[in-house]
Amino acid sequence: MNSIDAKNKDLQAINRQIRDNLNDHPVKVVNADHLHGLAAAIKHGEVIIDSNTGDYLGVLNDGATIKVSKNVGNYLGDNMTTGTILVEGNGGFGVAQYCYGGTVVVLGNAGDFTATMNKGAVIIIAGDVGDEAGTYMLDGDLIVLGNAGKNFANYLIRGDVYIRGEWENLGHNTRIVEMDNRDIEKLNSYFDTYGIEADPQKFKKIVAASKKPFYK
Amino acid sequence: MSVIGAFCVSVNREACINARMPGKCATCAEVCPHGVYSLNPVTGEMHIQNYNACVGCRICAEFCPSNAIRINPAEPEYISRYPWTLAAVEEIHYKAQSGEYLLRGFGTHGQTPNFDMITVVPSQIASDAPLDKYREECEMQVVIGQDTCEKPIILKLPFVWPAMSFGALSKEAKMALAIGAAMTGTAANTGEGGLLPEETWLSRGYTDGTFRHKEWEPGGYLVIQWSTGRWGVSADYVNSGDAVEVKVGQGAKPGMGGHLLGSKVTEDVARVRGIPVGSDALSPCRYYDVQSLEDMKHMVAFLRDVTNYQYPIFFKLGPSRPYADVAACIEAGADAISIDGLVGGTGCSPDLVTQGVGIPTIACLPPAVQALKDYGVHRKVKLIALGGIRNGLDAYKALAMGADAVGFGSAAEVALGCRVCYACHKGNCPYGITSHKPELRARLDPVEGGERLANFLNATAEEIKILTMLSGHRRIADLTTEDLRAMDMNTAALTGLKLAGFERPLPMWEPYLGKPPESSPLSGNGKNLKDREKAGLSS
Repeated sequence: MNSIDAKNKDLQAINRQIRDNLNDHPVKVVNADHLHGLAAAIKHGEVIIDSNTGDYLGVLNDGATIKVSKNVGNYLGDNMTTGTILVEGNGGFGVAQYCYGGTVVVLGNAGDFTATMNKGAVIIIAGDVGDEAGTYMLDGDLIVLGNAGKNFANYLIRGDVYIRGEWENLGHNTRIVEMDNRDIEKLNSYFDTYGIEADPQKFKKIVAASKKPFYK
Repeated sequence: MSVIGAFCVSVNREACINARMPGKCATCAEVCPHGVYSLNPVTGEMHIQNYNACVGCRICAEFCPSNAIRINPAEPEYISRYPWTLAAVEEIHYKAQSGEYLLRGFGTHGQTPNFDMITVVPSQIASDAPLDKYREECEMQVVIGQDTCEKPIILKLPFVWPAMSFGALSKEAKMALAIGAAMTGTAANTGEGGLLPEETWLSRGYTDGTFRHKEWEPGGYLVIQWSTGRWGVSADYVNSGDAVEVKVGQGAKPGMGGHLLGSKVTEDVARVRGIPVGSDALSPCRYYDVQSLEDMKHMVAFLRDVTNYQYPIFFKLGPSRPYADVAACIEAGADAISIDGLVGGTGCSPDLVTQGVGIPTIACLPPAVQALKDYGVHRKVKLIALGGIRNGLDAYKALAMGADAVGFGSAAEVALGCRVCYACHKGNCPYGITSHKPELRARLDPVEGGERLANFLNATAEEIKILTMLSGHRRIADLTTEDLRAMDMNTAALTGLKLAGFERPLPMWEPYLGKPPESSPLSGNGKNLKDREKAGLSS
């Protein structure tokens, strides 16, 4: 495994080193707290970050697997298209916004506006999410094992939102529906893949009340 | 629906085919975007059902096979009934009946402060002698990102096509814009609706994706827009062009995001945008992934990184607080800043926002230029003026006020054949410009459209050349406000230009000329980053 010490180095230098070193073996990065936009737009390989990170980690990720051992800043996995991001700690504001695909798993908590405008990614938050999570989702799955704040799934357009805990209030254009077998199988598959212990039967499912809530 | 109520619709029933043979012709009812005409399905007779919905586009008259329709302005009514014009009355009726507010395409109508009350000052004996347009050269090239990226953009003419998305426009219109850019060495823009593959090669002048046969010289550029809706955006998308434009706002609806109604989200549009067919594509009014100017700096940093430090970064602003907003863009690392004025165009917007929100283009430019000067980057960070610029005269005035280039959005649509019916959002454009219906799109040939657009830009460039040289300049970059005079008090007050006859700026401007406005990031405690954040981009 190639190891990169990011201390006192800038984004251009570290991202270039990561891209140059990606091959069959993972690339490990340490001391990356100060970098915003680390591991951006990577199309393959595995990056392991053994420190906290700044904002925009894995922005535009397009196929890489990115693993973080600690906490991440804001906007984790912003606008990802494919790939996987796994965070053992907490995510900040706006985890996995604007994603078209791929998977983001945060084992801790995630902040406000998580999964906003998700257009196809699978986003799993093992802890709690803040306010406005799932705002204006157009596709994909948001799965929350803990509790949610205000306006949960506000103005949901498409996609599925699952939650095991409670919410402060549900957002507009939402309705709660029964979990069916396909939902159970889907969640079981996700939980098996990412080693999460949870019973899908205990989740509630939220979908859009109308596909066109704004203009008739 | 756009309610105007300022036009008289007359049908010569002796010439009208339907009047003579009910059921034989209903062309006017078919082509009218606003339901002025209706066809009785039982009798086959055509009636004018709502005179007041006419916006004066004359599409019906143009399509009428018997030349039976006349549309004439009814301004006296508009004046005599003001403020309770038929437009105001009809709008209230519409809301009372439907419970909905009005939407509109295209842009603002009616009088707003504009370039028309500014005149160009020619050279005579007291200034540099005029130059001869027919025998001497005039330098019009504009370079963007010269010192900041590996592949700067070199516009052969000081023009860009502003962002207009696939979705708002048809595929053929987008292709025509790309070809027009290639033929003139200027830049097309994806807009925020994702990338049409054809744009990548047509804008550079190539006929297909093999990039082997260059049909259109000298070849242009493609600006990739990064916006709040992030439709169709990926790492590959960001790297598909020659620049990345960070959209903050637009003139037609500053403070709101893009609107593409579900009726225009066809399979093709849905595929390019990566969204479900028929869903309303409503972009957020702000970036959910930017909460401060520091975040915006980081966004610019990663966009530069993702594009391997090759391409310039543009910003696009709506007309709000031009000084502070332009200063914030400079802080964020812009190579070029487009500022769109009040009358900037749109594919769809709430009517009242397009009509009543924002600062006129002529009032945006002086504070924007002042911000660039205060940061020492005027003519380095390029300023692109947008919003209601129609011809070389408007463009020259914008350049002399300090812009480096101008954009033609609405004018481009008109050059493609648009008659300004304000119904772009409905998807029934009879000229195939803003429609996705195959039978309407077939009316717009992309190559012919590209040639019309190139002709328009070339003619406009010649107009600018005439004015630049009669003012005694060899380069458009040498134009200054000294080349202009305001012709009325309002224009002098809005712009700080010298008032014709008075030959000085209005006294109210004198204490401020060359100084930042009080609300600017540079006022008060000087260059304070936190002040700039307050003034700039924090939501």
